[in-house]
Amino acid sequence: MKKERVNAVVVGAGAGGGVAAKELSEAGLSVVLFERGGWVTHEDHGNDELTAQRSFPLACGFGPDNERYRRVYRDRQGNERIVLPNEWDYQNNAACVGSGTVCYGAMAWRFMEEDFRMKSTYGGVEGSTLDDWPISYDDLEPCYEKAEWEIGVAGDDSINPFAPWRSKPHPMPAFHHNREARILESAAKEIGYHPFSIPMLRNSVPYNGRRVCAHVRQCVGFACPVDAKNGTQNTVIPTAIETGNCELRIHCKVAELLTNDQGKLTGVSYFDENDQKHEQPADIIVLAASATETPRLMLNSTSKYFPSGIGNRHDWVGRNLQGHAYCGADGLFDYEVYTGEGPGASVAICDFNHHNDGYIGGAMLANEFIKLPYAYSSGFRPPGSARWGKEHKEYQKKNYRRNASIRGPVQEMPVFESRVEVTPEVRDHWGIPVAKISGYRHDEDIRVAEFIAEKAEKWLQAAGAIKTWKSIPGKGVSGSQHQAGTCRMGNDPQSSVTNKYGQVHGVDNLFIADGSLHVTNGGFNPVLTIMALGYWVSDYIVKEWTHGNRFR
Amino acid sequence: MKTDPSLTHLSRRSFIKITAAWTGGLWLVGVPAEIPSSYRLFTREEAEIMDILANCIIPPGEFAGGEEAGVTNFIDQQISIDGYLKEDARLYKTCLPALNRTPFNEYGKHFLNLDESNRIEYLKKLESGVYNESSEAALWEPYAPSQFFSTVIDHCMMGFYGSPEHGGNKNYVSYRMIRF
Repeated sequence: MKKERVNAVVVGAGAGGGVAAKELSEAGLSVVLFERGGWVTHEDHGNDELTAQRSFPLACGFGPDNERYRRVYRDRQGNERIVLPNEWDYQNNAACVGSGTVCYGAMAWRFMEEDFRMKSTYGGVEGSTLDDWPISYDDLEPCYEKAEWEIGVAGDDSINPFAPWRSKPHPMPAFHHNREARILESAAKEIGYHPFSIPMLRNSVPYNGRRVCAHVRQCVGFACPVDAKNGTQNTVIPTAIETGNCELRIHCKVAELLTNDQGKLTGVSYFDENDQKHEQPADIIVLAASATETPRLMLNSTSKYFPSGIGNRHDWVGRNLQGHAYCGADGLFDYEVYTGEGPGASVAICDFNHHNDGYIGGAMLANEFIKLPYAYSSGFRPPGSARWGKEHKEYQKKNYRRNASIRGPVQEMPVFESRVEVTPEVRDHWGIPVAKISGYRHDEDIRVAEFIAEKAEKWLQAAGAIKTWKSIPGKGVSGSQHQAGTCRMGNDPQSSVTNKYGQVHGVDNLFIADGSLHVTNGGFNPVLTIMALGYWVSDYIVKEWTHGNRFR
Repeated sequence: MKTDPSLTHLSRRSFIKITAAWTGGLWLVGVPAEIPSSYRLFTREEAEIMDILANCIIPPGEFAGGEEAGVTNFIDQQISIDGYLKEDARLYKTCLPALNRTPFNEYGKHFLNLDESNRIEYLKKLESGVYNESSEAALWEPYAPSQFFSTVIDHCMMGFYGSPEHGGNKNYVSYRMIRF
């Protein structure tokens, strides 16, 4: 059934899409915001680790579900297998209103100035498509500020000497440290690091009519029991709906981008919650479905004018899939460092994000979120530890409260062969060809990870850990909840998918507003940058619209 | 569906203990086959193998072991038709009897009848892949003994350290043990 035409369709109610829906509807455009999942609250999943969005051994509580969704994963030896959402190789992002912003750890990092000009800073890298962004930190700075104030961030950059410039402080004061973070903070100072409190999308004081963080243990991977964690689901999306111009359509799976006889993009087709297929015509389409699902949608939208998928004339859609090469170190202490005060992660350093002699890029380092009991039963232990039996149980009992961990997201070198494709042989519940993920990490990522892990280990040793060991990532393709890069922005249509405003080259009414746009992914959790890009892309659309451009 | 395992599930062992208390044990001689399994998918023998296996992986001590914490109940619930691990039902149905029979050639006893130190020795060999290429490997097909053991370790840890709402971690025993 064909629905009434609207000005804009936004696909995906996550970090980028939520912001875009709000900006466009506030400017007076009629908007339909599509979300494949529904509303999820703390009451739906409580404190259940086995279905939380952190390690999801039984299921992804925030979606997607194992019944309707699948992907194909191709390993480095070329073996292909079908993977379900709660397997690591699926690389899931939450499928609900707000997506990952409902259940994230909520670190609110701005990328640094160097992160937008990696090639200029470090030169070309063999085997990598490393490049500069077509926009600079200065371009995005006002959008970061808007994200921080409208969605809500607690932090204090004045203590971080490596922080990029800002025109306005964070809207809420920084969080205090728990015992573990206090120990690490003073140790960091002793060895010349520059520790500070991580900027967080959580309320350190009441904000926007919602409460203060309750410091629960089950934070990352869970919805907040007191609604003090700020995502798009409790900020910009409600604002968008309140304008009266935005209709949120949940449990709707967008299937294809539609083009007419003249090769003009006219709208989307989608399945509603009863699996009925509809068409939603629109003047403008904004894709914010994640760095896996956005390219999947484009590649699945083939026609006479776009035989290899929309925007894919030069075979860049789905390329350069990247996440982060997480690395770090763990330490055991001869006394208890754990107090149960959540969320755990609060102290960080940016000493090693850039200008590490002989290395490209780097990572911020921060203490780890509180480790949940099941996760602790196999992770965070010294190499060669018993996997089961008396020794294993004794280790759990003795060391759970004596362990501190430091982790950092190493900025990855984009690899052209790391990619998202679609595979008609495997289809999802709606008969749509699924995403196929393949590729590998660049050697430089592992080299940098080893360097960064050493810095983490030194930090733990300075804090008095009696035993320390490093954690180094493997060569497998990255993505996961920090997935990015698959529709990169650029000035040259032959080596990018969109222009600097997120507008797909050659398809004037198609925009992207998610992590797909990232040319590189910074040495930081990417969510605030995705939110900022939501503002950046929307700002361009609204300006054009206001000047009478209907993108027709 | 959230159910309190202590209300819905009576382990076979405690059933026998209660029955034995009532009858002085005489009842047990001819009756075991008629005692229904209190599990969804496991037979009484499979459940008994699983209980012992769970106790090898998470031994009882100051705090409950795998059996008492409800690990068998957790796995039974998860591999049943409305469980999250229903794909693994065949794995357990194949591998638990195989795990019981495999040591017979070597030890002259089934796993159920081995003493504790032999059980641990046997499981360590199982873990290291000793039986993957042995004459007993056919019992396990299409699975490999070491692969099953890795899976069962993981599932035992889920049952012991996960939320009690899934049928394990009775009375939050693991949370109390690690002082989460």
